[in-house]
Amino acid sequence: MTDPQIAVMMLGIFILVILLGFPIAFTLMAMGVGFGYYAYYDPERMQTLFDNRIFDLFVNQTYSVMANDVLTAVPLFLFMGYIVERANIVDRLFHTLYIASRRLPGSMAVAALLTCAMFATATGIIGAVVTLMGMLAFPAMLKARYDTSFASGVICAGGCLGILIPPSIMLIVYAATSNVSIVKLYAGAIIPGFMLAGLYMVYVVGRAVLNPKLAPKPRPEEIEDISLGQVVFQLATSFFPLAFLILSVLGAILFGLATPSEAASIGALGGLLLAACYRALTWQRLRESVYLTVRTSAMVCWLFVGSWTFSSVFSYLGGEHLISEFVLGLNMSPLAFLLMAQLIIFLLGWPLEWSEIIIIFVPIFLPLLPHFGIDPLFFGILVALNLQTSFLTPPMAMAAYYLKGVAPPHVQLMEIFKGVMPFLSMILLAMVIMYVFPGVALWLPEVFYGR
Amino acid sequence: MERYIHFADKVSAWFGKAFAWLILVMTFGVGYEVFVRYVLRDPTSWAFDVSYMMYGTLFMMAGAYTLSRDGHVRGDFVYRLWKPKVQAMVELVLYFIFFFPGVIALIVAGTKYASRSWSYTEVSVMSPANVPIFQFKTVIILAGVLLLIQGVAQVFRCIICIRTGAWPQYTEEDVEEMEDVLLREHEKVVLRHGSESIDVVHPQERRDD
Repeated sequence: MTDPQIAVMMLGIFILVILLGFPIAFTLMAMGVGFGYYAYYDPERMQTLFDNRIFDLFVNQTYSVMANDVLTAVPLFLFMGYIVERANIVDRLFHTLYIASRRLPGSMAVAALLTCAMFATATGIIGAVVTLMGMLAFPAMLKARYDTSFASGVICAGGCLGILIPPSIMLIVYAATSNVSIVKLYAGAIIPGFMLAGLYMVYVVGRAVLNPKLAPKPRPEEIEDISLGQVVFQLATSFFPLAFLILSVLGAILFGLATPSEAASIGALGGLLLAACYRALTWQRLRESVYLTVRTSAMVCWLFVGSWTFSSVFSYLGGEHLISEFVLGLNMSPLAFLLMAQLIIFLLGWPLEWSEIIIIFVPIFLPLLPHFGIDPLFFGILVALNLQTSFLTPPMAMAAYYLKGVAPPHVQLMEIFKGVMPFLSMILLAMVIMYVFPGVALWLPEVFYGR
Repeated sequence: MERYIHFADKVSAWFGKAFAWLILVMTFGVGYEVFVRYVLRDPTSWAFDVSYMMYGTLFMMAGAYTLSRDGHVRGDFVYRLWKPKVQAMVELVLYFIFFFPGVIALIVAGTKYASRSWSYTEVSVMSPANVPIFQFKTVIILAGVLLLIQGVAQVFRCIICIRTGAWPQYTEEDVEEMEDVLLREHEKVVLRHGSESIDVVHPQERRDD
């Protein structure tokens, strides 16, 4: 067997082991070391069992993950997220936004969508957003006689926006795998992120206007009679502090005032302050946030330790070359290639989560991008849009399962899936718009940083 | 075996949690750097090195803790459909093929790497402050050893599960993701109310802890 064939075998075995459900980070590490031992085997150097260059490669790759300045932002953003998640902010935010938007059609859905989007942006933790909103906004919407499918679609889709709208952890992870500047990625993701949120909003309001049965207007006695001053006061105490926090973190990064990790630590400090102001900063919650941060960081970063070793062995064996030869041999147009890549990522999103897809599978496509003249920044944002679907499509639609888990028992999983479908088509629409008008993603990075 | 599992969980959790607090140090430390740069116009020369070192130490030392709480991501869409006994049998085999070789390689290679660094008390080349990094490279060995200890405990867990047909319970409570807590609490509500729970709506329900 030739080396490239062994590389393909390596990838095949790896996918098989993923199916068996063993922790992926360690699978990657062991397979990288095992196949690397074969690849770098040199009988002349073998004084002892461990005289193989794979060990140097392995430890060097480990160290480069440990000293990676892009990934330094990961624990800090996670910490900010866990702090904000525990700051008792969701119910305040939802209530205020509902009151502020009470004259709009489908007002409660609009408020739920906005709350989801903001809270998801600040925390970046999808499970928490969907379950919290599923316990707070979802029953409220059902009580207001909203259609079950409609209401569940809003919560699931809104909760997933957090991995797209910056500052999102997924984009940091993509930056670390693709070497695209994280700052540019953030700048590029802003317009598509807001565009998708806007499309959701248009859909919600549009459906509510066309079919008022889906989202009935509140009865007059259900509308709280509140003066404009009170609304403004409520907005000032619940909406603006969080919006200010998000915008200042983003602004500091975009205007080059701070590196992403500096901005993240400012964000975490701001989150602590916010929690303290809402009297939600207890010792217990701080401890929870700290421990959860360390566990999630370890999960993401160990995946990097494994995958960097794995992928350098894979390309040393010639696997990368074989794949690019194969793909180039297909004589595809750039559009066909882009469609194929996005389709594969979409399908991978059914069983897998975004972290595995970005760290392990996206790097397979990255070396092919220059051949087709595709900007990795543009590709990354398409992937980020695409991966929204990985939470919403069965069989591993985590967002739908979380909602089902906290919803009243009469809500069927099928109803949730049915409600999510229109939002999936919005994601598709957003991807098409981005392909037709690449400026949606590329304009802002150009304005800020030139090309 | 149970005592060893208990011991390993404790050790991993202790190290993981102790180093977890670095995140707070990091938050304030990096915040301090921003403060002195903009307010006092006097940036430090060491903040960059110190921040990535804290990040690296934090996640490396927590690897075993995360493993003990089953926090490492797995593609479990087939795995979750199996009975615990089958899960444990498959996992037991996979630990020997896909866990121990990698972790032992990490310890061996890390030892060589770190001892070279210790031999000339290596400093960082990223900044002029000459921040030492040999202790940081030692973290690789420590993380590997912790993983090894915890890995043996995970193997014991598999063996117990094969014998009894159920995964052993955790002996100690630990923090969990908010969604897991909420899902479990909701299950309790449903159980308590039975079929009437259809009408139970708690718009204002908040988690108090």
